[in-house]
Amino acid sequence: MRWLIVFCLGWSVFAAHAGEAAYTVRATELKAKPFSDAATVASLAENSTVEVLTRQSSWMQVKSGDTTGWVKMLSLRLGDAAAPKKSGDSGLGALFNVAATGGSGSTVSTGVRGLSEEKLKNPQPDPKALEQLNGYATDEKAARRFGKSGKLSAQQLDYLPAPAK
Amino acid sequence: MNRKLIALFFLCCISSSASAFDLDFGKIIGNIQKARLATTDFDEPKEIELGSGIASNLLGAAPLLQNRRVQAYVNRVGMWLALQTERPGLPWRFGVLDDDDVNAFAAPGGHVFVTKGLLAQMHSEAELAGVLAHEIAHVLRKHHLAAIKKGARTELLAEFAGEAMENQGENPALIKLIGAGTELYARGLDKDDEFEADRMGVVIATRAGYDPYGLPAVLQTLQGMNPQDSSLALMFKTHPALDERLGLLDRLMSGPFDSFENQPDHAPRFMTVMSGSGITTEPD
Repeated sequence: MRWLIVFCLGWSVFAAHAGEAAYTVRATELKAKPFSDAATVASLAENSTVEVLTRQSSWMQVKSGDTTGWVKMLSLRLGDAAAPKKSGDSGLGALFNVAATGGSGSTVSTGVRGLSEEKLKNPQPDPKALEQLNGYATDEKAARRFGKSGKLSAQQLDYLPAPAK
Repeated sequence: MNRKLIALFFLCCISSSASAFDLDFGKIIGNIQKARLATTDFDEPKEIELGSGIASNLLGAAPLLQNRRVQAYVNRVGMWLALQTERPGLPWRFGVLDDDDVNAFAAPGGHVFVTKGLLAQMHSEAELAGVLAHEIAHVLRKHHLAAIKKGARTELLAEFAGEAMENQGENPALIKLIGAGTELYARGLDKDDEFEADRMGVVIATRAGYDPYGLPAVLQTLQGMNPQDSSLALMFKTHPALDERLGLLDRLMSGPFDSFENQPDHAPRFMTVMSGSGITTEPD
């Protein structure tokens, strides 16, 4: 049943989140094309609602009213702008903490099936599975062939520094 | 091994003049022990041994997805990513867990897991790469090892670190540390470790030639899911808020990644593998 729900979230190859509502988390500009120096089509205030059309790298094509344009994907969050403080995770996350720690897995509708805190605190090793895992491993040669086959060019890029506190 | 020999030699040399110099052997031995404890760095074989034990436990909690094609695919993506890092020679192992939970895990020594539930939320190979790269970063920075060490008694660490590999078998110190490592998945790492893995993850994915925004895209998808969905419960409990993670990446990524915006996401290749596996379905 859960799979049905998951599938119905309607992702697709070419238009992930197409038709989904999203909202801006900062004032941002709607661009005519997915480039920072493209013409600005409109200015969007913080907490504006848009409809997602598609994503292209760091840009999301959206509809704001009748206007279509591109915004930086990270200026958006999926879901309902109207919902109160939808950093959602801290409020509801805390709720989960209470439920999960209070619990016998009552937040999980099907009891102790699958991954659960209980199982992680009272683990049973599975050496056969570990062997199978080792059997799935790929060697360097095959990995390089794979990269090549996808025309994935290795790039040089330094790690990002930690943000100043 | 060398340190033990040196210690023995030292003791033999001074034993005859002990009384003359009024040496306290107890103190000497204590100091040698302390010196050893101070460097309870696990060498690579130990790290792998500990990580394998933790991986075995994780597999006891959630079985491997019995689909060779998906497992081989994830391993190829993962290994290609690992080759772009400072530890390409680790015995990297990638596994898809047959579980509806949305989550991913790393264990020391190069073990990385992602659940079927999380795969089902992804749209492209670049998104898969982003998540795998985040987990790879945890291994590179030895976050789990540090957390295990933090919680363990020094004697326990020294016992494991100092013990010769051949004796590991039923070593109680190893077993205890494996247990501690497994429990970590129920508690989570420090927030800063997660943020660091995010920062490193986007870089590793970009180095491997992928669209840099795969990981942010996955985080955005998860953030848009119904927070009541129980498949998210454990992930929410053990990670910082998605909004915070997205905000940090937002600030960090504008600028340095502009020149990588045209890197492929290989959505069709990802979809082909997944759709044949029952994890995903072709859209109408």
